[in-house]
Amino acid sequence: MTTVSETGGSPRPPGDEPARRQDGDWAVEVHGLTKRFGARAAVDDVDLLVPRGCAFGYLGPNGAGKTTLIRVLLGLTRADSGTMSLLGIPVPAERRRALARVGAIVDEPRFHGHLTGRENLKILAAARGGNARRRIGPALGRTGLTQRADDKVSAYSMGMRQRLGVAACLLADPQLLILDEPMNGLDPAGMHQMRDMIRGLADEGRTVMLSSHLLDEVERTCDQVAIADHGKVIRSGPISELTAEAAAAIEVQCSDPPAAARALAQPAIGSSVAVTQGGLTVTLAPGPAGEQAAEIYRRLVASGITVYGLRQTHASLEDWFLSVTSRLEEDQ
Amino acid sequence: MTAHIVAAARRGSWLPSVPLIGAKFLELRRRRVLVAVTAAFTVGTPVIFYGIREIYHLSDPARYGPAGAGAFANVVTLIAEFGFIVAVMLGATAGTSDLTDGMFRHLVITGRSRLALYLARIPAGLSILISLAAVGFTVAALATAFLSGAEPASLVAALPGDLARSGLWLELDLAIGFTVGLGLGSLMGQRTVPVVLLTVWQIIISPQLADHVLPHLINAQRIVVGVAMDQLKPAVLAGGVTVGPTGGIQPAALPAMPTWAMAAVIAGWILGWLAIGAWKMVTRDA
Repeated sequence: MTTVSETGGSPRPPGDEPARRQDGDWAVEVHGLTKRFGARAAVDDVDLLVPRGCAFGYLGPNGAGKTTLIRVLLGLTRADSGTMSLLGIPVPAERRRALARVGAIVDEPRFHGHLTGRENLKILAAARGGNARRRIGPALGRTGLTQRADDKVSAYSMGMRQRLGVAACLLADPQLLILDEPMNGLDPAGMHQMRDMIRGLADEGRTVMLSSHLLDEVERTCDQVAIADHGKVIRSGPISELTAEAAAAIEVQCSDPPAAARALAQPAIGSSVAVTQGGLTVTLAPGPAGEQAAEIYRRLVASGITVYGLRQTHASLEDWFLSVTSRLEEDQ
Repeated sequence: MTAHIVAAARRGSWLPSVPLIGAKFLELRRRRVLVAVTAAFTVGTPVIFYGIREIYHLSDPARYGPAGAGAFANVVTLIAEFGFIVAVMLGATAGTSDLTDGMFRHLVITGRSRLALYLARIPAGLSILISLAAVGFTVAALATAFLSGAEPASLVAALPGDLARSGLWLELDLAIGFTVGLGLGSLMGQRTVPVVLLTVWQIIISPQLADHVLPHLINAQRIVVGVAMDQLKPAVLAGGVTVGPTGGIQPAALPAMPTWAMAAVIAGWILGWLAIGAWKMVTRDA
C-alpha cells in the first residue's frame, strides 16, 4: 500500500523512508535530481520512486521536464545534482550494469531507414551482447512485426516504428521499460495495441514507466502516476487514490432545472450547482456521496419537482490533473 | 541473471566485439548508393580509363599505343584523388549515421561502451574501402602487365617491390581520408560540411602547400598530411623520378622530409582525428 504525498512526494510505504529501505525495492529511485540548461532548471530537485512491477505514468504538460528526467536516468545526459538508481543499482556509477535489464525509448523512435526492422534489431542485439540476438524473433512476434520484419524501416508507419522501439527494448529481457511518450503519433487502433502491450508487460511483473501528456491514455494504462510541472514532481500515487481527491458530482435529470437549482440553494447542498440542458450538475462537498444524493432527491421531491434520474460521476485523471494544476496556479 | 552480468561486463569493454564490427559493417554495406559511388571511384576509374584506351588502341593500333603502357602512375593517382574524396564520404557517414538516423540513443541505452561503438566504425568502414581500392589497384596492375603490348613497361620491370609499395601507398592515402572524415564527421555530427571541407582541402589547399614553399612556414607546411604523402609517394608513381632519402619524390621546392618525420605526420593526422572523434563520441549528449 502506498500513500499519496504532497509536493515532490512519491508513493512510499507509510512510515518507511526510502533511505531505510533495501536497494532494489524500487524500479526507479530518484532523490534531489536537478538538471539545468543555462539558468533554466528542466528538472528541479525531483524526488521520485517508481514501485516494481507496475505501469507507472509520468505526467505533465509539454516542457514539464519529462523527457529530460528520462534522459538523465538513462545516462544520455548528465545531471547537475542528485542521486538515482535503476533496479536498485546506482547510476551513473554502475550505469552499464543497471542498463543490462532496462529497455527504453526516448522521444520518437528512429532507426536506420535503409535497413529492415530485423537488421536494426541485429545491430542493437550486437551492442547488447549476451542472448539478445536470440530474442529478436520473439520480440518481433510479441510486437506483431514478424510479417513486416524484413521490410525497410523507411516504409514503416509511426505505429510500426513505435512497436519496433518496444521490440528493441525487449532484446534486453527488461525488468524495467522506460517509454517516452509511447502513444505519440499513433491512431486509435495503434494506441489500443500499445496500451495492451504495455499492460501485458506490466502483468508479467515488469515495470513500465511511461511519460505522457495524454491523461486519458495514462489513466487506462497505468496503476500509478506522478505529475510533473515546471521541472518538479507535484504529486504522485495510485490513480484511484489521487482521483478520489477530486470532487465528485451528481448529474440530476428533472422537470424544472432552474427551480431545482433554487431548491438546492437554500440551504446549500454541495459546493456548487450548475444548470444544464435538461437538468443540473451538483458538485458535491467533501463527505459521503450517498448521503448527499439522498438529500438532493428528498429536497427536489419536496419542492414538487419531478426527478427522472440521478447519476454520480467519478472524477477522471484529467479532472484531478486540472484541479491540482488550478490549485497550484491559485497558490502562485 | 548471471548471463546479464557477464554481458554487462563485456559491454563495458572499450574494445569493439566482432559482432559489433559486423553490425556496423552491415549498416554501411547496405548504403547502396555510397558503396556504389565508392566502387565507381576506386574500381570504376581504372576500368573506364583502360577501357577507353583499349578501344582507341583496337580501333587504330598504329596511332594509339597499348592501353596499359605508361599509364600506371596516372591511374593510381586518379584512384588516390577520387578515392580520397569517397573515403572522406565513407568515414563521415560511418561517424554520423547513428546520430543522424536516430540510432545513437538506442545504442547508448544498451550500456555498450561509447568508445567501443566508435572504434567499431574503423574496421567496418575500412574493410569496405580497402577491399574496393585493392580491386581497383589490381585492375590497374593487371592492365599494366597484360595490356602493355610489346612496349616495355617500367612497372613490369620493377615488379614486385614497386607494385607492392604503390598499393600500400594508395591504401594508406585512402585510410587517411577515411579516418579524417570519421573524426571530423563525429566531431561535427553531420556529413555534408566535413565532406565539402575535406574535398576543398584535398583538391585545392593540400596540393598548393605541397608544391610551393611559404617562406618561414616550411615547418608548418611539413605537418600537412598531403605533403608527407606526396613525399612518401613511390618513385614508380612519379614516372620514375627518385629523389630524397626514402626513394620518394621531392615536391617542386619543398625540402625533403626524413622518413620518421613523414611517419610522424601521417600517424599524427590519423590518431589525432580519431582521438577528436572519440572524445566527441564519449562526451556527446545523446
